[in-house]
Amino acid sequence: MRKLSFISVLALVVALAACSSQKPAAEAALKSAQDAYSRVSADAQKYVPDQARAIQDSLASAQAALAKNDYDGVLKQTQSLNTQISALGAAIAAKKTELTTTWTTMSAGVPKMVDALKSRVDILSQSKKLPAGITKQTVDAAKAGLASAATTWSEATAAASAGDVATAVSKGTAVRASIVNMMQSLNMQVPGGAGAAGS
Amino acid sequence: MADNPKPDAGAADPYDATQWYEVKKGDTLSKIAKEIYGDASLYPKIFEANKDQLKNPDVIQVGQKLRIP
Repeated sequence: MRKLSFISVLALVVALAACSSQKPAAEAALKSAQDAYSRVSADAQKYVPDQARAIQDSLASAQAALAKNDYDGVLKQTQSLNTQISALGAAIAAKKTELTTTWTTMSAGVPKMVDALKSRVDILSQSKKLPAGITKQTVDAAKAGLASAATTWSEATAAASAGDVATAVSKGTAVRASIVNMMQSLNMQVPGGAGAAGS
Repeated sequence: MADNPKPDAGAADPYDATQWYEVKKGDTLSKIAKEIYGDASLYPKIFEANKDQLKNPDVIQVGQKLRIP
C-alpha cells in the first residue's frame, strides 16, 4: 500500500514536471504565432477576411487553452496555426494580384462608359422633347449620378495610387454599377464587360 | 427602345461603350435623332460622330452602323 502511494506521488510529480516544462514552450509557440499573424493581419483582414477571421478564432482558442494550463493543446493548435499563417501570405499575394488585374481593366474601361453616358446626357439635355420612356427627371438623375460617380471614381484612383487596390476595386465596382444603371435608364447599350447593374 | 447593338462591336474591348445604331429601310438621320434623342433637330450630332463614313447627312445606307453619341 505504501509502495503504491509512493508510485502515485511519483507519477504526479513527473506529470507536474512534464506539464510545467511544457508551459514555456506553449507560451513561446503561442507568442510566435501571434507575432507571425500580427505581421500580416492588416493585409489579411483587407484581402482575405474569412481566412483572417478563422486564424483569429484559432489564436483565441489557443489563448484560452493556455489559460486553462492545457499546454499540450496549445502546442497542437499553434502547429496548425503556423501552417495556416504561412498559407495566409500566399493567399494575400494571390488576392492582391487578382485585384490589381481587375483594377487595371476597370481603370481603363470605366472612363469610357462615363464618357459615353456624359455625351448622351449632354445631348438629351439639349433635346426639346425627350424620347419615349425617358423623362426630364431621368436625365437630371443621370446628371447628378455622373457628378457623384466622378467623386467616387476620384477616390478609387487615389486609393489605387496609394497602393490600396482593394478599396480601389470596391469603389470602382460601385461606380461601374451606378453607370450601368444610368445607361439602362437612358436606353443605352451596356458594354459586355460592365456586367449587369449591381453585379 | 435601346439603340441597335452593332454585331461584333466591342468584342476586343469588353468596356467599349460606343453606342451603335444599324440603319433600317426608311431611316434618315433626323428620324434616328427623333427616336434616340426625342428631337429630330439634333441629327447633326449623329452626323458629326460619323463623319468618317458619312459625307452627306442626307445619304445613309441600310445596314450601315452609325455611332450614336
